Amino acid sequence: MTELKGARARRGLTHLVLLAIGFAYVYPFLWAVGSSLKTKIDFLDGGLGLLPSRPVWENYAQAWREASFGTYFVNTLVISVTTVAFTLLFTAMAGYALARHTFPGKKIILGVILATYLLPHGYTIVPIYDLINSLGLLNTLTSVILAQVGGGLVFGTFMFMAYFSTLPRELEEAARVDGAGFNTLFFRVMLPVSKPMMATLGLFTFISSWNNFFLPLVFTLGRPELRTVGVGLYAFTNQTTTDWTLLCAGAVISLAPIVVVFVVAQRYIVEAIAGAVKA
Amino acid sequence: MSTTRLARTGGPRPAAAAGRGRSLWRTVRASGWSYAYLAPFVVLTAAFVVYPIFASLGYTFYDWDGIGEPSDFVGLANFKQVATDGYFWRALGNSALYTLVLVPVQLVLALVLALVLNNPRLRGSTFYRALYFLPAITSIAIVGIVLKLMLANFGDAVSKPFLKLGLTDEPLQFLGSPHLSMWTVIAIGIWNTLGYNMIYFLAGLQTIPKDQYEAAQIDGAGRFAQFVHVTIPGLRNVGLVIVFLAIVGSLQVFDLVMVLTGGGPFYSSDVITTYIYREAFGQVGTGVAVEPHIGLASAASFLFGLLLLVVTSGQMLAIRRLRARKEGK
Repeated sequence: MTELKGARARRGLTHLVLLAIGFAYVYPFLWAVGSSLKTKIDFLDGGLGLLPSRPVWENYAQAWREASFGTYFVNTLVISVTTVAFTLLFTAMAGYALARHTFPGKKIILGVILATYLLPHGYTIVPIYDLINSLGLLNTLTSVILAQVGGGLVFGTFMFMAYFSTLPRELEEAARVDGAGFNTLFFRVMLPVSKPMMATLGLFTFISSWNNFFLPLVFTLGRPELRTVGVGLYAFTNQTTTDWTLLCAGAVISLAPIVVVFVVAQRYIVEAIAGAVKA
Repeated sequence: MSTTRLARTGGPRPAAAAGRGRSLWRTVRASGWSYAYLAPFVVLTAAFVVYPIFASLGYTFYDWDGIGEPSDFVGLANFKQVATDGYFWRALGNSALYTLVLVPVQLVLALVLALVLNNPRLRGSTFYRALYFLPAITSIAIVGIVLKLMLANFGDAVSKPFLKLGLTDEPLQFLGSPHLSMWTVIAIGIWNTLGYNMIYFLAGLQTIPKDQYEAAQIDGAGRFAQFVHVTIPGLRNVGLVIVFLAIVGSLQVFDLVMVLTGGGPFYSSDVITTYIYREAFGQVGTGVAVEPHIGLASAASFLFGLLLLVVTSGQMLAIRRLRARKEGK
């Protein structure tokens, strides 16, 4: 009996410690939300306190319109969604061809995939910048999308290839008897069964694209109206008269989509990350 | 149809020497759709992954500010300049410090957290997992700006506990002091990416069969003995991957340093990636104009890439050796 009580007390203590550290862990997020609702005076008086004396929602309207976070948000959304769409399409196509067909040159492609998958990408931004420049795409959203899609195809193709090669051959055989060609097989048979893979890869591509800072920073140096939320926020901090509460509202606007995605799809995200290290 | 047959057998192609060229051409033509499906992948990967690896080497031989075509051939001068540049070595040293401090501290903390959360009787472990993972999944560029704002405006409040403990006489300048900036960046780095390693360790812990613990218990092993004799060996494979992912990731840290300090003050928190960025694109946002040195930046990138290559090859060697030893048992 006493032992049971001891175990319960210990478990209670574990929860207490986990909660306390967890609270400290997400404190910057809570502080950003709280501060985004403060008045300027409230912000300076409140210090590291969380709660505003009276929530000021106008900060959000102001950040969205006057501080251009509306534009930044739309830019980031356009980049992320387009990047996800093209990454999924191209990697599924390549993964399908590599997993389900044989053709001359396949071994070379597989070798290159393996080499670039294992090699560190190091720091190759200069040639990429030069390439984008010579394509005349500097200071466009297309350049960010192109560089992000181009850099992410090896990983996605690898994932799709692994996924498609686990599917039974009968799946295609039946459709082929019915006279289905290459395209029909891919779009009507293979793509529909690969929904779990598309969801996982899509989720990851979206998150990494939304969070990408470096590529949009480099490719939108000359055009402020093309900034993403991250780059916009960074530029905002470097202005001489920075409005702190607006900055916090901007940060919340920038973080919100990923936090929402994470809360909704937590289980899948964690499983996929865990799977990466086991493989 | 021929594609199906080949795919199924996957064996050697028709070997008749005379008809070889023709049959190869036929299979190439029959595989038209395969090539079409691979085309976007091949073209984009060639342009954005393979080509840049080789192209950056070409720039290293020129003194080039990034405008027009590189024409001022200087041979190996850029490498010589990088090798004698004190800022380069300082940045490399900071990258090494970041990695050498962050990796062990973060991995120990992540393992402890994973061990606690792995307890099946602990309720709400999914909730805790989400809580601790939140910083890792959100943009470090944005979170870094929030942290910078907290420290810049209210550093006094943050340093109060340090003042009370008598560890310091005056409020700490967490990001503004050349002595502290790097340590602040490291501490925030530990906080930021710990979630990934926690998830990795949790995944590793779940691969250890329960009956191994039961067997150890029957042998009279206590909790600590179980940890040493069951958990640690069980985590060895996953652990090795975790260590190397952490090392490679830490060496490449950029966003965090860029938004927190930009490498400053006085280059005290400059890491390799911010050094390369500054040389390639000039100092942006601080008002200090630095002329871009693309050749120099490329030479530094190349040396850095070489360093990463050594680390990843070391990883693969270690994993292979471990596997071989296991099979040899």
